Amino acid sequence: MAAMAAVAPLLETEALCKRFGGLAAVNEVDLHVAPGEIRAIIGPNGAGKTTLVGMICGRLAPTSGRVLYRGREITAMRPWERLMQGIVYTFQVTSIFKGLSCYENVALPAQRGLMRGFATRLALGEQLVADRVHAALDAVGLAGAAAQRADALAYGHQRLLELAMALAAEPQLLILDEPTQGLAEGEIAQLCELVRAISRRATVLVIEHNMPVVLALAERVTVMDSGRIIAEGTPAEIERHPDVQKAYLGR
Amino acid sequence: MSGRATSRVLIVHLAVIALLFLAQFALPAYHHTNVARIMVLAGYALGYNILLGYTGLMSLGHAMFFAAGMYGAGLPVYYLGLGAAGALAAGIAAGVLLAAVFGLIALRTSGVSFLIVSLMFAQAFYLASLYFNEITLGDQGFILSGHLAPLEFGGASLGFHEPAVKYNAALLLFAASLLLSLGLRVSPIGRVLIAIRENEERTRLFGYDSFRYKLLSLVLSGGLAAAAGASYALLFSYVGSTFASILFSIYPLLWTLLGGIGTLLGPLVGTGLMFYLVDVASGMTSAYLLVVGVVLVVLVLWFPQGILGTVRAKWLPWLP
Repeated sequence: MAAMAAVAPLLETEALCKRFGGLAAVNEVDLHVAPGEIRAIIGPNGAGKTTLVGMICGRLAPTSGRVLYRGREITAMRPWERLMQGIVYTFQVTSIFKGLSCYENVALPAQRGLMRGFATRLALGEQLVADRVHAALDAVGLAGAAAQRADALAYGHQRLLELAMALAAEPQLLILDEPTQGLAEGEIAQLCELVRAISRRATVLVIEHNMPVVLALAERVTVMDSGRIIAEGTPAEIERHPDVQKAYLGR
Repeated sequence: MSGRATSRVLIVHLAVIALLFLAQFALPAYHHTNVARIMVLAGYALGYNILLGYTGLMSLGHAMFFAAGMYGAGLPVYYLGLGAAGALAAGIAAGVLLAAVFGLIALRTSGVSFLIVSLMFAQAFYLASLYFNEITLGDQGFILSGHLAPLEFGGASLGFHEPAVKYNAALLLFAASLLLSLGLRVSPIGRVLIAIRENEERTRLFGYDSFRYKLLSLVLSGGLAAAAGASYALLFSYVGSTFASILFSIYPLLWTLLGGIGTLLGPLVGTGLMFYLVDVASGMTSAYLLVVGVVLVVLVLWFPQGILGTVRAKWLPWLP
C-alpha cells in the first residue's frame, strides 16, 4: 500500500452509496485506482459492480458519497461531460448502433474530440475523422469490416466493435463491463491482448467473471459482495484470501 | 461519409432540382400549378423528416408550425401591408420561436408521450386560431391578394398570381430546404442526430448532450415547416385555420412514410405521389378516399420502408 500512496489516484470514490428503495446496491465504497493500472472488480451477481461503475461514468446518480477524478469532484457531472474528461464506458450488454455501418459506429465517438466550437459542428475535415476511425478499427482487427452493418457482425466481432468505439473516444479511464461475456476461447485471448495494449495509454477498470482472465490481466483486484468491498490486493493475494474463497470462489 | 460519396450525393440532389426547374417549360398549366404546390408541401415534409427520419421523434403536431408560418407571414401582410420578404422572415421566426418553446417543454418526454404532447399542443394552437377569430378570421380565413405587393426585381414587377413566379418561388423554397437537410445530414450534427435515433443512451455516454441536439433538430424541423407554411400563404394567397387542424399534422407523416423515412428525397416522392393519388382518384369516383386507402395499404405492404427507403435497402445503399 505504501507504493500506491506515493502516486495520486486517478479515480477515487469516497463512501459511495446507491440505494434502490430499501436495498443498498452499493454501500460505503471507497475505491482508489492509480493511473496506468489494470484494475479488476470481481464479485458474485448482485454484488453491486455494475452499479458502482455506473456512478463512475455518470449513468447513475449516487444516493450519497463522492466521486473524484484527477483529484477533482465529478459526483454531479453529467455523463457527456465525463466523456470529455476521458472516462469511457462499455456496456455489459453489447450496445452498438446496430442499424449503422461499423464506420459510422466508430465515427460518432471519433468526431467528438474534434468538435470544438460551433463551426466544427457544421463541418469537419472528414479525413481527420476517417483516420481515427480506421486506426481504431485496425487496433481491434476489424479494418476490413468498415462498410458492413454492425448487426451483420458475429457476436464476438460486435464486442470488438464496441471496443473500437471506446478506443476512438480516446479514453484515459476505460471501464469495461464483462468484456469477455459470450466470447469463445480464442476471442478471449485476443481481447486480453488488446486490453493490455490499451493499458499502455490508459487506465483500465474491468468488471470480469472469468477468473483466469482476471488473474492474467489485472494488476490489482477488488472484490465486492453485497454492495461492499470485502478484499483488495494483487491477484495472488486475492486467490489466497479466505473471505474471497468463501464468498466468491466457493471453496 | 467520404468526400467522393458526398459529391455523388450532391450531384444527385442538384440534378433533381435542375429537373424540377426544366419541368416548368414542359408541364401543361394544370400540372404546372400542382407541381408548384407539391414542392411547397414537400418542403413541409422535409422539415418533418428531419425530426422523424433523422432524429427518431414522431410528432403529431407539426400543423402548428406550418400554421405558425402561415399566420406569421399572412397576418402582417393582411393588417400591416408587409412585403413578401419580410412576411417570409416573420413566418419563419414565428415557427422557430414556437418550436423552441414547445421543445423546451415537450422534449422532456419521448416516444409515445412525445407524440401525445405534440398532438395536445397542436390542438391548443388550432383552437386558439378559432378562438381569436376577430384577428385570424377563424375557419373562414382570409385572402392575401390585393394586400400583397408584387416583388420588384430589377425594374420587373413579379406578381404572385403569375404561374411562373409561383413555380420558381416554390422551387427556390424546396431547393433551399433540400440542401439544408442534405447539409445537416452530412454534417457532424447529422451523425449525432442519427445516433440519437438509433440509441440515445449510448450517444449520451459518448459525450453528446442529447437534449440540445434534439432541440436543435426540432427547431430546424419547425423552421422548415413554417417556411413552407409562409410560402404557401404567400403563393396561394390564402390563410385559414384548416391548415392548423390535425389533418395537416397527419399529412407530413403520411408523405414521409410513403416516400421513405430518413431518406432526403422521400418527402418529395411521397408528397407528389399522394397528391396525384388523391387527384386521379377523385376524378374517377366520389369515394376517392377509399381508393387512396387501398393504394396506401398496397404500397405499405410492398414498400414497408417507404418507396425510397426500400430502393435504398435493395439497390442504392449510399442514398442519404
